[in-house]
Amino acid sequence: MSLIVVQVIVSGLLIGAVYALFASGLTLIWGMMNVINFAHGDFVMLAMYTAFMVWTVLGGGPAAAVPIAAVLLATLGVLSYFLLVRHIMKGPMLAQILGTFGLALLLRYSAFWYFGANFKTLPDTILGAPLVIGGIRIDAPRLVAGSVGLLVTLLLHLLLTRSALGSRMLAVAEDATAAQLMGIRPERMQAVAWALAAGSTGIAGALIATFFYTSPTVGETLAIVAFVTVAFGGFGSVPGALVAGLLIGVIEGLSAFFIGPVYKDVVVYLLFVLVLWTRPQGLMGKA
Amino acid sequence: MMHRRLMYGTVAALVLLYPVLLSSAPVYQRLGTLVLLAAIGASAWNLVGGYAGQVSVGHAVFFGTGAYAAIAVYTQFGLPPIVGVPVGALIAVVIAALIGVPTLRLSGHYFSMATIAVAELVRVLISNWEWVGGAQGLSGPAVSRTVLDLSFTSALPYYYIFLAVLAAVLLVTWRIERSRMGFYLRAIKDSERAARSLGVAAGRYKLYAYMLSAGFTAVGGSLYAVMFGFVDPESGFGILISVKMLIMAALGGSGLLFGPLIGALILVPLEEISNSLLGGKGAGLTFVVYGAIIVLIARFLPSGILALLPARRPPPKPKPLAAERAHAA
Amino acid sequence: MWSRKFSLTALCTALLALAYAGAAAAQQTVKVGAIYPLSGNAASAGNYSKAAIELAVDIINNDHPELKDLPLAAGTGLPRLGGAKIEVVFADNQGTPAAGQNQALRLITEEKVQALIGAYQSGITVTTSAMAERHGIPFVNPESVAANLTERGFKWFFRVTPVAGDFARAYADFLKEQKAAGQKVGSIAIVNENTEYGNSVASVIREMFGKEGLPVVQVIPYSANTTDVQPQVLQLKEKNPDVVIFVSYTSDAILYAKTMKDLNWKPSIMIADDAGFNDPSFVSSSGSLVEGLVNRSSFAPGKPGSLSALINDLYKKKNNVDLDDASARAMQGMLVLADAINRAGSTDAAKIQAALRATDLKANQVVTGYNGVKFDDKGQNILASSLITQMQGGSYVPVWPKDKAAGELKLPYKGW
Repeated sequence: MSLIVVQVIVSGLLIGAVYALFASGLTLIWGMMNVINFAHGDFVMLAMYTAFMVWTVLGGGPAAAVPIAAVLLATLGVLSYFLLVRHIMKGPMLAQILGTFGLALLLRYSAFWYFGANFKTLPDTILGAPLVIGGIRIDAPRLVAGSVGLLVTLLLHLLLTRSALGSRMLAVAEDATAAQLMGIRPERMQAVAWALAAGSTGIAGALIATFFYTSPTVGETLAIVAFVTVAFGGFGSVPGALVAGLLIGVIEGLSAFFIGPVYKDVVVYLLFVLVLWTRPQGLMGKA
Repeated sequence: MMHRRLMYGTVAALVLLYPVLLSSAPVYQRLGTLVLLAAIGASAWNLVGGYAGQVSVGHAVFFGTGAYAAIAVYTQFGLPPIVGVPVGALIAVVIAALIGVPTLRLSGHYFSMATIAVAELVRVLISNWEWVGGAQGLSGPAVSRTVLDLSFTSALPYYYIFLAVLAAVLLVTWRIERSRMGFYLRAIKDSERAARSLGVAAGRYKLYAYMLSAGFTAVGGSLYAVMFGFVDPESGFGILISVKMLIMAALGGSGLLFGPLIGALILVPLEEISNSLLGGKGAGLTFVVYGAIIVLIARFLPSGILALLPARRPPPKPKPLAAERAHAA
Repeated sequence: MWSRKFSLTALCTALLALAYAGAAAAQQTVKVGAIYPLSGNAASAGNYSKAAIELAVDIINNDHPELKDLPLAAGTGLPRLGGAKIEVVFADNQGTPAAGQNQALRLITEEKVQALIGAYQSGITVTTSAMAERHGIPFVNPESVAANLTERGFKWFFRVTPVAGDFARAYADFLKEQKAAGQKVGSIAIVNENTEYGNSVASVIREMFGKEGLPVVQVIPYSANTTDVQPQVLQLKEKNPDVVIFVSYTSDAILYAKTMKDLNWKPSIMIADDAGFNDPSFVSSSGSLVEGLVNRSSFAPGKPGSLSALINDLYKKKNNVDLDDASARAMQGMLVLADAINRAGSTDAAKIQAALRATDLKANQVVTGYNGVKFDDKGQNILASSLITQMQGGSYVPVWPKDKAAGELKLPYKGW
């Protein structure tokens, strides 16, 4: 019995690391520019399709798909910023919701139109057989996705806190006008933020595609998890997203196992609402 | 002056006679009805989202309450669904009070995220509650038993019912706009901190706006259930419902009396007509068009369409209270 | 002189008019509206159903002598309407009951269709058929299984598909047979997705099994379109039932297939209740992981040269995948409707309704595995039935009942 519980926890951690991966991009944008990106899940969806295309057209696995998806999505992120986000940021929050939600619909149904409605999956042997450690099964795609997730999140955090670029970005996040007076160009930094955030969704999507199904509407499912993870961890905090992602993965798994899978969503939402009511800045966000 | 009167008169006449004029084109007659139904929800949302500036993305929780109340009084008690309207509204107001108190303390994005979470929570709980049909949902009277069941074939009766309700919502909104509460809400929307420092009981007024908005949204939900005769967790509490309300208000102009109606006038026909023209080909192009238009509006018209019109005289400031007069003196 | 010219012109005009009228009557088309999910979550299934209905229309409108026994296959068009062809107008129900009803109104009043077919999701069928009922338009429902659809006292609603009770009975009979043959059937688990489809089927199965003395030891409802199913599979692994019945849509089915392999657990008998597991997307992506999966379907290609095999070939040529259960039922619904319109000999709604009521198709005249098509006074096809199929070598083979089987049942479940 306890071995199964350990398995539940391990599985929860693995999927949690993936949640953390695609939430870290979302929290970055959110924290830097106060923009809710409703299209975030659909960015991940496009990355998954990229991975699928790399497999069917080029025959390449994640090693090829990840960098390609990262670059493609980063470009999409920059384009979205310059063509849309930069303008809606000046408007009321309502306009931001409108803008990114419309972008989500546009991306989702363009994918639908181009790829069709059918679910697509990559062959499950693409990354090899599961590892078995002491009776606990860890399947390779999730392990890879989880580890890369951790790595990318850490790198992102280091970039933000230890590099010159990072401090410039944080300066813009804190006070764009003051930063401008110091010679930093806010728009450029924000574009970089979008490129980084979108790029990380590219990596996340390309990795998730190895163990999850791809369809045009998968973005909707993933986006909700991303939002909960970000709010839980704290808007703008990348390490917060990591911790929150892992926590949510484990809590989801345990409540699904002990209470019942239908209620796992209830537990997560309830927790989320309680955190918002009692500690809105999340676990690690700034007050 | 005469010009204006004539124009308003013509518009009013057209609005009143619309379903009669289009009685030979049931689809368009119904379209007008759908526009009004959407406008009711969007205008209700506008009270708290537009005027008070509290962007709720979880209003579906009130819509669904109203919808389920209407059908549940039929399936559980055999009553005509219309009886569910006051029931649903009352329950919605209570729910608004319960979640409003802790949630309205949050600002901006946090508030929005909390409303989404609460709505999703309720949706999942309803899906598992057998008494309201669980995931299968509830069906209303398929064929009218008496005229009170309101199961009409033609859209005409629905049109006038919805028109009356919309008029009521807009009237209440208009009165609030011109009252002290409206004044306070505008101040809160502008800068809550400043408003509080001037003595405005921000928390209380936000809550009033939220509760009022909830009640009207529930009425909209009940009317939907009466017209369509079916509700399930997705069509009652789904996030798309919240988003559509919000998008219509934003498109037309949030915080403006007729903004939601204008938004509904554009988006509802757009969705229906593009679905009819493009939908059958199976490529979901309807939503691509929908999405593109929303993006363009957000990009080029962020304050909504109505904001393009020249600003009219701002509403008159309400007379100060005796206490305030004494203070100023 | 003048009068002769006049009468000659008059005669010519009259003849021309007659010719036109005759030609018009012969070229008359019968319009049918089809409302299916062409966008949204069920779009994959909706589009396959659309393809199947289009194939049905092609068979009716064109000469297909090789499909013996199938009514209307030979010859072009509907013989009792002067060879009139069927034209189907498709509408997208967008996955919402409201859109379904709005589209129904449009099809009835603008496109002036003579009958409607649809609408896949039970909740959407509720509202869509209500619109048809109010307008007195026949509504044929090929695939929605909610019990209440035939309990509304409707006069214009005709459901061709078997319902949850029929499936539960089929499973019960099948499992009792396996128990008698010595297979392990001591404990049964049901895993169902938590929307109207999953819930209704699961509860009916539980009720039926309770009556038949088949022990259900575990029921795991879960939220559809979930991101992860490891907890559910781990719960199963812990209890280790002999038989598991899955009631899931496609995306979850794919996850279950993968997760069971990842966590290395399989029951002795694995049963999937149609839906996701029959979706061609599932079969092509995960078929190799579920060898020996028992499924129920109203359709299986069957022996080569049989009617169903020929139809499957026609479908496969156009769409590159086998005809699946839901789409086959949509096709059958279209064929039933066309047969009724033909027997009515007119496009008058009341005559079509009467013809539908009088439908009496035999087992060899239907594409699906039904025992026939005959409607009771609630509009339900009482001869609807299911086949039990099994995944063998990448496609489903009917294995039960024995008289319709095309292959041998192989137990226990092999999986990957």
